[in-house]
Amino acid sequence: MSEDLESRLRAALTPVAPDDEFTQKLIARVTAEQGSQAHARGTHRRGPTATAWWLSAGVAASLLIAVGAQHHLQERRETERGLEARREVIEALRMTSQKLNLAYEVIKSQSPSPSPSPSPADDKPGV
Amino acid sequence: MNEAAAGFSDEQLVKARAGDSAALALLIRAHQRSVYSLALRLLGTKELAEDLTQEVFMQLNGNLKSIASNTHLLFWLRKVTSFRAIDQLRRRSRIEMTSLEDEASLISPAEGGDPLLQRHLQQLLMELSPPARAVLLLRYQEDLDPVDIARTLEMPINTVKSHLQRSLGILRQRIAHPDRHRCEDEST
Repeated sequence: MSEDLESRLRAALTPVAPDDEFTQKLIARVTAEQGSQAHARGTHRRGPTATAWWLSAGVAASLLIAVGAQHHLQERRETERGLEARREVIEALRMTSQKLNLAYEVIKSQSPSPSPSPSPADDKPGV
Repeated sequence: MNEAAAGFSDEQLVKARAGDSAALALLIRAHQRSVYSLALRLLGTKELAEDLTQEVFMQLNGNLKSIASNTHLLFWLRKVTSFRAIDQLRRRSRIEMTSLEDEASLISPAEGGDPLLQRHLQQLLMELSPPARAVLLLRYQEDLDPVDIARTLEMPINTVKSHLQRSLGILRQRIAHPDRHRCEDEST
């Protein structure tokens, strides 16, 4: 009885096929999806090109930053040199001014002082 | 395994994995009956079964690289179909699940012969819990033994055996006392 029931069950539960139209649509959809996946994989395979592009972009950016930094450093160095030159000029002017003052003092001290005018007392005889 | 599935070889699977559309179409033709029938008898309507069949094959397409052999493929398809269908059934209320017209298509039209068994089996299928229904279908539609059913549904083998015993018991009762159940059916 049990085996009979089980065999009848198997017969009743034989797999059934879906409609042909559905099968066609299913195959079309899944194979299209497979195609798009393959395309995506193809795009992924072009990865090295993309990597090279990013690498180039990275190198270019690094170079640009290096050049910018170099330019900035050079400008800073020139500014410092300018300031140093300015300080030197000011110092030179200060020293020159000191020397001139000194020379003036020496000349002033060496030159004869003008004779003083006779006092009225000297003019008086017998005093 | 049905005849169409048996006709699909590991070599063709390798081709399908490599992106051969013709091999993939062959794979679908070979396995769609099994997937569709499981989905139909688990979910109860043609529309839901078609949707699920499509989802399963789309998912398979994304996972094809991980399928090692034709045996693995069959195991994967049965497992994914059963789990997805059981998930759907758990989310839905039973009331909206079937119409009488749909129920008629759950049983194979080819076997002829035993309309009483078909009627009882039809009723039984719709009354079983989703896991019990999956067990019955994997046993008698897919011809899996209890060990393979337990692996496929990730359930203890004793649970599988218990589901089978209970389902067969109900069916035997229905066949032995058809009038009683008819009265019950009419009264409900």
